[in-house]
Amino acid sequence: MTEPWRAWAVSVTDLRCWDRARIDLEPGLVVIWGPNGAGKTSLIEALTMGCLGVSPRTSREAEIVRHGAEAARVELSLDGPDGRRERAIGYAPRRGRRMSIDDAPVRALGEWSVPGAVLVFIPDELRIVKGPPAARRRHLDRLLEASWPGYREASSGYKEAISQRNALLRRVRSGEAGVGELAPWETQMVPLAVEIIRARRQAISDLQGPFQRWLESLGGGPEGQLRLDPSPSSLRDVPDDELEGVIFGFIQERRPRDIGAAQTLSGPHRDDVGLWSGDLDLRSSGSQGEQRTAALALTLAHRDYLSDVAARPILLLDDALSELDPDRRQRVLHAVGDGGQTLITTADPAVAEIARAGSAQVLHIEDGHVAKMG
Amino acid sequence: MKAPTARSHDLAGALVEMSERLRPCSQCFSFAEDELCPICADPRRDPQTICVVEEPSAILPIEATHEFRGLYHVLGGALSPIDGVDADDLRIDELLVRITQNGVRELVVATNPTMAGEATALFIADQVSGDVIVTRLASGLPVGADLEHADELTVGRALLGRREMKGQPTGP
Repeated sequence: MTEPWRAWAVSVTDLRCWDRARIDLEPGLVVIWGPNGAGKTSLIEALTMGCLGVSPRTSREAEIVRHGAEAARVELSLDGPDGRRERAIGYAPRRGRRMSIDDAPVRALGEWSVPGAVLVFIPDELRIVKGPPAARRRHLDRLLEASWPGYREASSGYKEAISQRNALLRRVRSGEAGVGELAPWETQMVPLAVEIIRARRQAISDLQGPFQRWLESLGGGPEGQLRLDPSPSSLRDVPDDELEGVIFGFIQERRPRDIGAAQTLSGPHRDDVGLWSGDLDLRSSGSQGEQRTAALALTLAHRDYLSDVAARPILLLDDALSELDPDRRQRVLHAVGDGGQTLITTADPAVAEIARAGSAQVLHIEDGHVAKMG
Repeated sequence: MKAPTARSHDLAGALVEMSERLRPCSQCFSFAEDELCPICADPRRDPQTICVVEEPSAILPIEATHEFRGLYHVLGGALSPIDGVDADDLRIDELLVRITQNGVRELVVATNPTMAGEATALFIADQVSGDVIVTRLASGLPVGADLEHADELTVGRALLGRREMKGQPTGP
């Protein structure tokens, strides 16, 4: 296995409630303990931004800038498979993001972000379970971008082909272009679609075991199941080596409908990931508690997967333990204490106490100050 | 700002003169000072082989190799429906006319290795009928570089485009 990811220190400036803070982080378990509203989640957000460049809490980035400040900034000292890097990202409303690695500016977010470095669990954001299919696709895609050679290229190429084809479908519908012009885009789209489907199938199959074990271990029952719901659904039973021919077939067949709608109505850009517990579709029918458990189980399954195929990611668990009973809480703490770096936030002094009894680093946060304990 | 004013005048003059004198070659649509560009006007070039490029700037690197003795055809871009560029906006009809009139035997499609360039190549290959051989520039590993430093996409394409070294003869 490759060296695990590890954050040495994170500094924030004008991020949400934080004016300025710097935290040095130990390699194993780090517990951030403090009352609600003290800024614990903002530190999880800062670490996520330092790796991925985007907030796990919001897509309206102006929200992250402290009230009255001009720009928010995060600096992260991060160890990864390529060695230690000093990463920085600044965000100012209307001016956008500025990123750098070791003081050298990086323009493209795709080049700057390290998708396999962190996994985040934020209980208020259960989008990976109950959100739209796009949220689950993005979650799975991020895993594959970090682990499947060529996935990022296949995925961005496929998106480009779909955009070009959709633009062309619009022009065909209005009579500005001929149907014959569609083929060159479809010819390029199909092998990329096949690559994406194969990767997603493999990942779902590899995640199934860990997901089932984690769901059971967290009290979600023994029948946890992950499924790729492909678009069109008829692809479900098509073997990998027959995908190309079948997809070519349905693209031809569905052209008239696609032209009518002026968009590509089916394909991996419409896939979904099904999360089930027995016959219960957790996406739509799960209770809030069941959905939380499923999201946590999926996050932990992603961690196991990345640890196996790439490098162990940093796990960021925001308030993940509060609703678990002491036995399950102990199981999670035990599992995350096996080598990788994990940050857990909690408002519960009992969790801080358990962690301190172990060898964890405990940081107490109150009134915009950080104090080390234990 | 430090240069003498006369030099600025010379430079401006040269630019004006260039834009006045240059026009598209009536045959290949590259830059020309006369009716035909120097390459189209050269009787030693093989008119039955045409290399298709997106822009005139792509001709220079190909000429620099001295490996190509045919003529060129400049499309004026690549298909891109997002930007409103359809087949009608490129000089594809003109290319098809040249192929028929000159009895072209081989068409070397040297559009860029981007998705738009690839789509353009596929579209042209589909439009060309008859006995014309349509070839595409190979993409693969840079000469003199180590395999271990190449990106996955390039190595993948090089693998797909691998050629046989023993058995069937390859190449011309």
